Amino acid sequence: MSALLELHGLEVEIEGLPILRGVDLEVRPGEILGVVGETGAGKSMTARSILDLLPAKARLSFDTCTFGGEDFIPARARQLARGHRIGFVPQRPRGSLNPVFRVGKQIVDTLRRLRGMTRKEAKDEALSLLRSVRITDPERVYRSYPHELSGGMCQRVCIAIALAGEPELIIADEPTTGLDVTIQAEILKLLGEVIAEHNAAGMLITHDLGVVADVCDRVAVMYAGRVINLGTTVEIYREALHPYANQLVSIASSLDSGGTPQEIPGRVPNPGDDLAACAFAPRCFRAEDDCFQEEPPLVHIEGQMAFCHHPLTSEVVSA
Amino acid sequence: MTGPTDTLALRDLTKIFRIKTGTFRHADLRAVDDVSVSITPGRTLAVVGESGSGKTTLARLILRLIDPTQGSIRLEGTDITQMKGAALEDMRGRMQIVFQDPYDSLSPWQTVGRTVAEPLLLHENMSRQDATGPVAAMLERVGLSPEHARRYPHELSGGQAQRVGIARAMITNPALVVLDEPTSSLDMSVQSQILLLLQSLQEERNISYLFISHDLTVVRYIAHDLAVMYLGKVVESGPAAEVFASPRHPYTEALLKAAPRPDPHYKTDHVHLLGEQPSALDRAPGCPLFGRCPIAEDVCADMPQELVEIEAGHRVACWKRT
Repeated sequence: MSALLELHGLEVEIEGLPILRGVDLEVRPGEILGVVGETGAGKSMTARSILDLLPAKARLSFDTCTFGGEDFIPARARQLARGHRIGFVPQRPRGSLNPVFRVGKQIVDTLRRLRGMTRKEAKDEALSLLRSVRITDPERVYRSYPHELSGGMCQRVCIAIALAGEPELIIADEPTTGLDVTIQAEILKLLGEVIAEHNAAGMLITHDLGVVADVCDRVAVMYAGRVINLGTTVEIYREALHPYANQLVSIASSLDSGGTPQEIPGRVPNPGDDLAACAFAPRCFRAEDDCFQEEPPLVHIEGQMAFCHHPLTSEVVSA
Repeated sequence: MTGPTDTLALRDLTKIFRIKTGTFRHADLRAVDDVSVSITPGRTLAVVGESGSGKTTLARLILRLIDPTQGSIRLEGTDITQMKGAALEDMRGRMQIVFQDPYDSLSPWQTVGRTVAEPLLLHENMSRQDATGPVAAMLERVGLSPEHARRYPHELSGGQAQRVGIARAMITNPALVVLDEPTSSLDMSVQSQILLLLQSLQEERNISYLFISHDLTVVRYIAHDLAVMYLGKVVESGPAAEVFASPRHPYTEALLKAAPRPDPHYKTDHVHLLGEQPSALDRAPGCPLFGRCPIAEDVCADMPQELVEIEAGHRVACWKRT
């Protein structure tokens, strides 16, 4: 299957600090790719690079990048793709809506800009978008200001705006973080449904492995500015190749089942820290000398890829 | 329900905030409404609920940071509801808190050593010299080194800062520690380190924890008992394993089913509570869930249901499920 979005060797540097150190990933048509990692792993920066939302001081480089089969330059996404071919659902829905304009106007403006609609067409389309995100009284929401709506409702509005340009890819950055559990479940379900209904693909950035298991088809696990393990959700949760991904999943599942979690010693490195050849080596229970000295190789096994000298699989161990 | 051996026993605890709604108008917000729970030594009671359910107000009441409107709080058998001045200051050494954000809760101007020593100076009238030894021992116990005493909070990682918060809370050897979302701002790998530390401290010192959280995964792991709050009311309580296995209140059910689990073969059930949590201002007299509840009947609108014991220790406030 050819990828919708394919990125190789994405690097981002901010004031001399390496934030992304060669990110490789692909999003396939129709799938939802989860991007997980801890603070500072580079999840949001990866999304922001694709959306051309990096801070002004950031310097970006990459080896190859294609979107829909064509070359795509992340740093010029503003005119080409953002909003139009790539929709964005933000982390803080209320904060990303303009507080002084009614919700309806904000959707209408987006539609007129992206799709060149007349005012009348845009209003009809805005109401139908609000209905498509399961808002039962679209007329009222259309006339409301953001502060008159609940957090869950604001996020529905943001999803409607993300859909306005009929995007092929929707990137959602921690879309449910500030929301209550019961609302979170509804928003995730909605996001999955609208992505399918619009024949789009999704990229969901989160730190919550429960959320990933719930909605994602494949997962990319990031650590210290790289994707270190990528595979189908089922494979990654069954037996992730990379020891870091493996332990992360096992902590989450042992907490969930009431068991005692393993401990990963140490802490996540900060950008600019001196890193071993494999950034995880100092915390890894499988690390040997080669992990500190040589770049970890890319291994492909059963629907997964990982950068690791000593991946967790019987085949490689016995080889 | 409450016995003489309880570390903490709350009876009918209520806090009503008067909110100004106009020049001459007020509305009552029942932030905590008639809550009665207790914790025995060495056990963890988790209070779960969504934002606005009153969890944090409950913690502030227990620690006597705000005064209750009604009801009583007993700590180790002593009624502390009306306690004031020096007596209350002495009592504070017996009850401590660990906050959600480890950086916000440490003074940026004080060294770690000073912060951890503070409760000893305040509640046990210890001199700074005398405190140095216990502080060093406490820092080692929470997995830091005595050298950390000279550092400032900004030099610490999130996990280390939270260890300092725990050291400060534990240094007076309290009977009760309120843990207000102690791991929710931490990364997963650090979260498990902190949970393991809290658990081993509890076993070693027989401390009671009141664990406030909205994260059911963490609660499932650490809690012995569970109280589910909705709009200021405890709607269900009981042994954690029992409540997780067979929730009875429709709200508890919704909460448990909606929580995503780290298992791709498990699909969360998107439960059918209608709409979102309403305002707690001037609530109707009946069940707080009325209006969102899929199984509500007329009686639920007008008559509040009390918690009813349906199995040993398992209590539910619901007309339809008792």
